[in-house]
Amino acid sequence: MTCNYDFHQPQWCPGCGNFDLLVCVKDALCGANLGPRDFIMVTGIGQASKLGFSVKCNLFNGLHGRALPLATGVNMANHKVKLISVSGDGDYYAEGGNHFIHAARRNLNIAVFAGDNRVYGLTKGQASPTASPEFTTPIHPEGVGGKPLNPALLALASGATFVARSFTGNKEELTGLMKQAIAHRGFALVDIMSPCITFNKTNTFGWFKQRAKPVGPEHDASSFDAAVSLVSREQETIPTGLLYKADRPVYSDRFSALKGEALARLAPAYSPDRVKPLFEKYK
Amino acid sequence: MNHINVVIAGAAGQGVQSAGDILGKTLLRLGYQVFIAQDYQSRVRGGHNFISVRFSDEPLAAPVRRADYLLALNEESVGLRLGELAPEGLAFCLEAAKGSRTDQRLRALPDSVGPEAARGEKFAAVKLLSMLFAGLGFKPEVLAGSVKKIFEGRLKPELLRANLDAVAAVAAFIEAKDVRAPAFQPKAAARGGPSAGRLLVSGNDAVSLGMAAAGAGVYAGYPMTPSTSILNTLGTAGPRLGIAVEQAEDEIAALNIAIGGSYAGVRSACGSSGAGLSLMAESIGLAGITETPVVIYDGQRAGPAIGMATRTEQSDLLPLVHSSHGEFPRAVISPADHYDSFYLAAEAFNIADAWQVPVFFVNDLGQAGSERSVEEYDLSRVRVDRGLFAPEPAGTAMLARYAVTESGVSPRAVPALSNWLVSCDSHEHDENGRLTDDKDNRVRQQAKRMRKLAGMAASFPGPEILNPGKPDCLLAWGSTVGPLLEAVNMRGAAFSVAVFRYLFPLDPEKVRRALAGFSRLITVEQNYTGQLGKLLAMDCGLRMHSHLGKYDGRNLTVEDALELLGSLEGGKP
Repeated sequence: MTCNYDFHQPQWCPGCGNFDLLVCVKDALCGANLGPRDFIMVTGIGQASKLGFSVKCNLFNGLHGRALPLATGVNMANHKVKLISVSGDGDYYAEGGNHFIHAARRNLNIAVFAGDNRVYGLTKGQASPTASPEFTTPIHPEGVGGKPLNPALLALASGATFVARSFTGNKEELTGLMKQAIAHRGFALVDIMSPCITFNKTNTFGWFKQRAKPVGPEHDASSFDAAVSLVSREQETIPTGLLYKADRPVYSDRFSALKGEALARLAPAYSPDRVKPLFEKYK
Repeated sequence: MNHINVVIAGAAGQGVQSAGDILGKTLLRLGYQVFIAQDYQSRVRGGHNFISVRFSDEPLAAPVRRADYLLALNEESVGLRLGELAPEGLAFCLEAAKGSRTDQRLRALPDSVGPEAARGEKFAAVKLLSMLFAGLGFKPEVLAGSVKKIFEGRLKPELLRANLDAVAAVAAFIEAKDVRAPAFQPKAAARGGPSAGRLLVSGNDAVSLGMAAAGAGVYAGYPMTPSTSILNTLGTAGPRLGIAVEQAEDEIAALNIAIGGSYAGVRSACGSSGAGLSLMAESIGLAGITETPVVIYDGQRAGPAIGMATRTEQSDLLPLVHSSHGEFPRAVISPADHYDSFYLAAEAFNIADAWQVPVFFVNDLGQAGSERSVEEYDLSRVRVDRGLFAPEPAGTAMLARYAVTESGVSPRAVPALSNWLVSCDSHEHDENGRLTDDKDNRVRQQAKRMRKLAGMAASFPGPEILNPGKPDCLLAWGSTVGPLLEAVNMRGAAFSVAVFRYLFPLDPEKVRRALAGFSRLITVEQNYTGQLGKLLAMDCGLRMHSHLGKYDGRNLTVEDALELLGSLEGGKP
């Protein structure tokens, strides 16, 4: 199909990984045959989230960290429509950490594209949950300390059924994984290493490029144990590609009310009379 | 008013609730009007709980404190509740719970009465109910029928049999001098059926039914007293009625789920109590700026923070009028009884859809948990109006979701089910829903949104004035209204009463006109500061003479209301 999602020009720093992210999102949407009206994009707050404004589509740009519960509500109202969420490491893993866990646990049918630059760009250079312990900022002049959050491991532990990792410097791989994530029925995370050229002088394009290494054919993405072992190993390289994929009932499968048509089609025709049988219980 | 009040008291887990259910349902089916109030602690076992079952031949809208009968399930309850028993009342207990008391009103049942299989405290509830029924001159078969209906399938057959045998045996124990038939008879059943066409519903039951009748399709909440029963009721009815109900990971998620559901085209709501509403604050503003219709239920309880989890209060009014940062339109409405709890809950969705705003439906724990008999709700009275939608375009096109209009309301569309592309944004945005901080656009969009306030206020009815024309007017809302009205009528209806259901936004002219001519305006609210009075001062320029507040967390009884009126007449409000 011919695809045109062009909308507002994005306003990122020249060289920002988000430009590559945007190109790949559009290519993946086109490749997945999703026209502008065929999906709903739900975003949060942060530089990566601003990507939504540059895509012609149905968009709900919500609060910081709250894209996923909002998407859950969209799914309850219309489980037939494809959901795509784009945001960053601060949004999904800090402010929205609780929601991330529970959306994955429920296996909400959504493709989640996390632009992970390990820093807060919108607020100008604070540490994100994925920042390394040595990363220094004015708030953390002696380093962030602790242990960086591991998004892939968190997603696996939380019940995500599609976990992938990629790098904006490898657009072919990234677009392919996004397409697979969109096609996946369930909670699909693509954690995307994306350089912030202004505020993260540690995890630069070169730093990511040196470490990002596609997983070899020896990795069995259908094995939960293999995926956990792969992503929890401390190593010099960061394996990219499809890390884990499983089939499990999606969130909406637990509702008999969501077996057929979307509630968004059915509910507007609901008659008040349908509650009459409930009265019996109170007699 | 002719009535009988039965207090059933005991520890959590002893069957206070079940006994109340049996008694309430039985009285309903006999054709009586019933009001049941709960007084319980936040614990699963032990402690001291009681339930007041009041019945009459007239409709009841309030609990009373004074008991005509006390059913004490343990010794502690005899000691704690005997003080509220009328001088001519009767208290029933098992012999073991009597202790050394010699009160003339106490009737202790020896454990030997009834079948072998029904011995001990476990059978106290059903045995004391049987004593009560015999005392009221009701046939034991009536109680046995209710016990059977409620417990068949829930209890093992032999246990059910023991209960039924106990009912029959204990009834014979009551002496003739203790049998006093009620001085009133149920009015002739107008519509027949097992309950004369009436329902015995809690405030929350009524709200749940009202939401379902309005066509709600998405509901979310995080368990919190006193809102949890709505999650239960809608959740259980969900598969049958086509409602998707979720127990969210927190209240922030609950409201965002409702916003997402509404954006995607379904009437959506969430519910909690004050603490949950505090957590929702930022998302309330999200519904405001994205102009997403959503109904938010608040079952108020005694705050702040955890406060008293199972105790009532009316202290969230001003917090909800102001909740969330920034300025945006919202509506606050509150049910004054169990009829409003149904009809107004349904209407809340029309308000949300008509004005595309968050609507707070504010109840209080006292009313949420109290049950009363109501005439079966008339479903033909439930109006469903989804508001303004944009006509479908020929091809895919960007909807001017925030088109500037005179009313402030812009036509909406359902994303993915229409050719419109619908964009909503938590930032200030242009007409197409895309972020901008342009100053002229800001003024246009903010003024557009805020214009809804005047339109909404004009569309809302003002306060209802009961007993008009008296020198003083008492202003009330929520569960305060029922007991206050009964107390006022007992005092010869010497006060006018203004009932506020539509609390925000207020039309100052309409409110001032309704309250004109009174020499004194006095708020009666279950809070410390008199929040309704402050709101009326702020938005309508009205000055209250005084505030009669009660904030002990207990349901306002008719006696409490009489005492508040007394303090007013004594000149020391």
